Amino acid sequence: YGIPFYLQYLVHWPEYFTVAEAPGGELMGYNAAVLMLSVFTVMGKAEGSVAREEWHGHVTALSVAPEFQRLGLAAKLVELLEEISEKKGGFFVDLFVRVSNQVAVNMYKQLGYSVYRTVLEYYSASSGEPDEDAYDMRKALSRDAEKKLIIPVPHPVRPEDIE
Amino acid sequence: MAARGHVQDPNDRRLRPIYDYLDNGNNKMAIQQADKLLKKHKDLHCAKVLKAIGLQRTGKQDEAYALAQEVAALEPTDDNSLQALTILYREMHRPELVTKLYEAAVKKVPNSEEYHSHLFMAYARVGEYKKMQQAGMALYKIVPKNPYYFWSVMSLIMQSISAQDENLSKTMFLPLAERMVEKMVKEDKIEAEAEVELYYMILERLEKYKEALDVVRGKLGEKLTSELQSRENKCMAMYKKLCRWPECNALSRRLLLKNSDDWQFYITYFDSVFQLIDESWTPPPEEEHSLEGEVHYSIEQAVKFIEERITEESKSSRPLRGPYLAKLELIRRLRYRGCNDEYKLGDPEELMFQYFRKFGDKPCCFTDLKVFVDLLPSSQYTKFISQLLAVIPLSAAAEGELALPSDIKALQQHLCVVQLSRLLGIYHAMEKKQKLAAVRELMLRYRHGLEFGKSCLKTELQFSDYYCLLAVHLLLDLWLEGEETAVWQCLTLLEEGLSHSPSNAQFKLLLIRIYCRLGAFEPVAELYSSLDAKHIQHDTIGYLLTRYAEALGHYAAASQSCNFALRFFHSNQKDTSEYIIQAYKYGAFEKIPEFIAFRNRLNSSLHFAQVRTERMLLDLLLEANISTSLEESIKSMSLSPEEDDIPWNDLRDNRDLTVLFNWDPKDRDISEEHKKLSLEEETMWLRIRSLTLRLVSGLPTLSHTIQPKNSEKTAENGVSSKIDTIRSLLQQLEVAVDSGKKFLEQKIQYPVLGPPPTRMAGFFSNGSCQCQTSLFYLVSDIYELDTNGLEDSAEIQERIGNSFNSLVERLTDLFNKCKGDLIEVRDGTLKTHPSLLENLVFFVETISIALWVSSYCDSVLRPFKSNMQKKKKKKKESSLAMPPVFTHFLDYVAELQTLTSNVIDHIRGLEIILSALKLEELSLKDTLLLEEEKKFTKTVQGKVQSSYHHSVQEIGELLKKRLDTIKKLKI
Repeated sequence: YGIPFYLQYLVHWPEYFTVAEAPGGELMGYNAAVLMLSVFTVMGKAEGSVAREEWHGHVTALSVAPEFQRLGLAAKLVELLEEISEKKGGFFVDLFVRVSNQVAVNMYKQLGYSVYRTVLEYYSASSGEPDEDAYDMRKALSRDAEKKLIIPVPHPVRPEDIE
Repeated sequence: MAARGHVQDPNDRRLRPIYDYLDNGNNKMAIQQADKLLKKHKDLHCAKVLKAIGLQRTGKQDEAYALAQEVAALEPTDDNSLQALTILYREMHRPELVTKLYEAAVKKVPNSEEYHSHLFMAYARVGEYKKMQQAGMALYKIVPKNPYYFWSVMSLIMQSISAQDENLSKTMFLPLAERMVEKMVKEDKIEAEAEVELYYMILERLEKYKEALDVVRGKLGEKLTSELQSRENKCMAMYKKLCRWPECNALSRRLLLKNSDDWQFYITYFDSVFQLIDESWTPPPEEEHSLEGEVHYSIEQAVKFIEERITEESKSSRPLRGPYLAKLELIRRLRYRGCNDEYKLGDPEELMFQYFRKFGDKPCCFTDLKVFVDLLPSSQYTKFISQLLAVIPLSAAAEGELALPSDIKALQQHLCVVQLSRLLGIYHAMEKKQKLAAVRELMLRYRHGLEFGKSCLKTELQFSDYYCLLAVHLLLDLWLEGEETAVWQCLTLLEEGLSHSPSNAQFKLLLIRIYCRLGAFEPVAELYSSLDAKHIQHDTIGYLLTRYAEALGHYAAASQSCNFALRFFHSNQKDTSEYIIQAYKYGAFEKIPEFIAFRNRLNSSLHFAQVRTERMLLDLLLEANISTSLEESIKSMSLSPEEDDIPWNDLRDNRDLTVLFNWDPKDRDISEEHKKLSLEEETMWLRIRSLTLRLVSGLPTLSHTIQPKNSEKTAENGVSSKIDTIRSLLQQLEVAVDSGKKFLEQKIQYPVLGPPPTRMAGFFSNGSCQCQTSLFYLVSDIYELDTNGLEDSAEIQERIGNSFNSLVERLTDLFNKCKGDLIEVRDGTLKTHPSLLENLVFFVETISIALWVSSYCDSVLRPFKSNMQKKKKKKKESSLAMPPVFTHFLDYVAELQTLTSNVIDHIRGLEIILSALKLEELSLKDTLLLEEEKKFTKTVQGKVQSSYHHSVQEIGELLKKRLDTIKKLKI
């Protein structure tokens, strides 16, 4: 992502920005200026209308440096994001993931997310050509006790059809 | 294009097609359509602006500007014109003009909320904080909305941040901001969380920590809800500032009870416990210990607390590292205070062993333990390592074969031990033979480990990658100890590793470093681009490219790498301004100083200054007097010798010098001292380069045709001040060169993976420095000749003649430093000589400067000559002798021509040798290499050969072009 992308998120949803650091001194000392190189980050946002029961949290970017994988950090970071979204009164949390990224899909499933729908050709290559489909995965928050907002949609949708 | 209001307006309908054309990038049609419309409706100002946008976008900046100013002078108040002008000015990078526009608009329509708010944002874009403050208040008076009021408050904070005078900031701006907020608090008008954040920010900056604490803990603090633990974190920060250790302790203790894996709170907990012990703090009788509850103030309590965390952890579903690491941290702190054993925390060696048993299969185990290895006595290192090895489940296929892990967990554990061994210096202490055996073993383990990663995606790393990397580090040690073949093995193994794990950035980075050290830039460009470095990384790791590309004669690649970086830096300026404005709109006030600090950090980046300077030098080198004249080139870069845009006192080193992994013990690792020295060296080199650039840019300012006799007149029109500038720059250059030489006398050796040394050492030792300074002195002499005329200047002429002679000698010496084979085959192995290549590049640069100076000389002598010829014709006398300077110059130019031709011949020779180099015939006798590896070795050697070939080709091409320019110098 470019700098503007990060700045935009910092302006709108600063509370959804989390960076974790390890005890080892070699990992400290990164500040906002070199955010992208820091160890693990999660970014998210809240969007959608409350009246239409669409108000929700969104996992925008989640990355964990290779040396710190397999520690349950991603789970921890997603939990934080869910906690914030709960506090904001969201109905659910959602995220997009490449259908080929089995590791991530499985991880999110373990964390209680399920595939809500498939978004066709959501990802594009740097050439601009369509590249791959995405799963739109959701997890209901306590405000949607009946979990009615995460009932899977049978047909795939196009990127332009998602709000 | 921006949204446009009032759909009913007939003008909107008329303008629509122009907007559409502009939106679709059809600028020509937009201009035509605007012209058509303007014929009918002369007063439709917006059409003019839209036409100006079209002109701007088709490269007609001057016309666009004139047209825009025509409209702006009318002080328009219609939305369409205002918005179009705003867009235009932004595209022109003239945001200050937007402020003028809306200043006029609000004067005419004083009650417009919209225009006032545009005015505020326009000021924000250019950082006019004082005016922002006023605009905010003006807005609040028109529409009493809280955000407007707080925009004004924030502007006060920005004034305090930007104030040079700290006193002013503390006694005026911040107290005023505080009073403004207090007023709202008193009137109970505080509405939003952002407003409380702002209040906190003011108090914090005023160092009114007590008051800040009261705000956070009080009713207003209840609004701080968005961020998790926002109140707790702020309280903690204030307790620390106020040295309220009981509260620090109680709060961190409480937060640890909630989450015993949060490292930062352990640190605060320990800090506070020991502070309280040192103060002999005791709890007040019959009262709460502190505002935050119970306080721990003795070592016994701390020990018990940590032990309890460990007991708790054993019940948790997810293993937590925090409590165990906290115990080690506590031991470290106790030891530091001279007491350890009495508290029965256990032996650190044993604890680390236990930690390894619990977390050894996690990749982070190494970095966790790294922090604590200094708790081990060095006599125990070997024993400790064997103890760890003993518990890893490894099994050998047969007697006498290597015992290997049978799953990923065992592999991970083993890798952790290998990394620790390297950290403890065990590999460093080995003999050459042992090291080679260790390399073998690591590679065996590496290849064996690949079987666990068969299902890995291309984007994932192989589990055993570190084995390969560690083997390469061992080989690098051997290479530095003089083992020539080892470096080829490094490249071989890394290329092999990369073929299995194409996304491994560490492989690529190390390949880049090694190829560059060998003088081969060609493979580097591809590797770097596959790293997919983005945005900020152009600043943090761009130095890997820019240090070498030009230095090794890959001019095209050098241009390109500078461009990557420059594009990023330029867009940063624009992007951040945009989001600073957004931050006001959305009340993310605490982000504003951060964004500004971020922007400043990038603007004062060392790398930015370097690529700016090198890019211009490179452009001159490639183009000046070849495709365009030196004068035009300099003009198009808006260069002037007087101007220095490098923020010398604020230069920030944003390079990530530890981007390459390494497991070296502290005494071999990259230290803060190295980083400091490297920055010092880079800055010195940058100064030399920047002065060189400015000196070159001064040449055309001298060389307009001056009639020798009216030298007084030239003093008036400023040319004499130009030579003063040049002389002063030359003096500065001498100073910079001197300090550079002094610096190099320290003979600093950076670690091999540490900061790359600059080109400065080569610049001095090969003599190009001396040549270049002499050339600039020559400029000064020629100028003198120019002003004094040919008569009565025998002394100057002689001086110039001597300079010519010594320059030819020095340039010849420099050429001699370029001679020799670039790649030689010795004892069946290759050896490269990158310094010869670097010298060659310096030669080309120096000869280019020599030729620019010569063309200045030519421009001075030519008028003299034609004058003389005229005189000759008039007087029909042949007795008028040619002044010596003409002969000197002609001889000099002829010498330069011969020398350049010789170098070109030399380069041609190099090309032939390089092509004739038959790598296949290299025996690669080294028994260490497997057949598979030999294949990779051939590839890397081929890459190096081809890269050298490429270098000499580019250098040769450029030199040929330079040779052509000499022919124009025959007066």
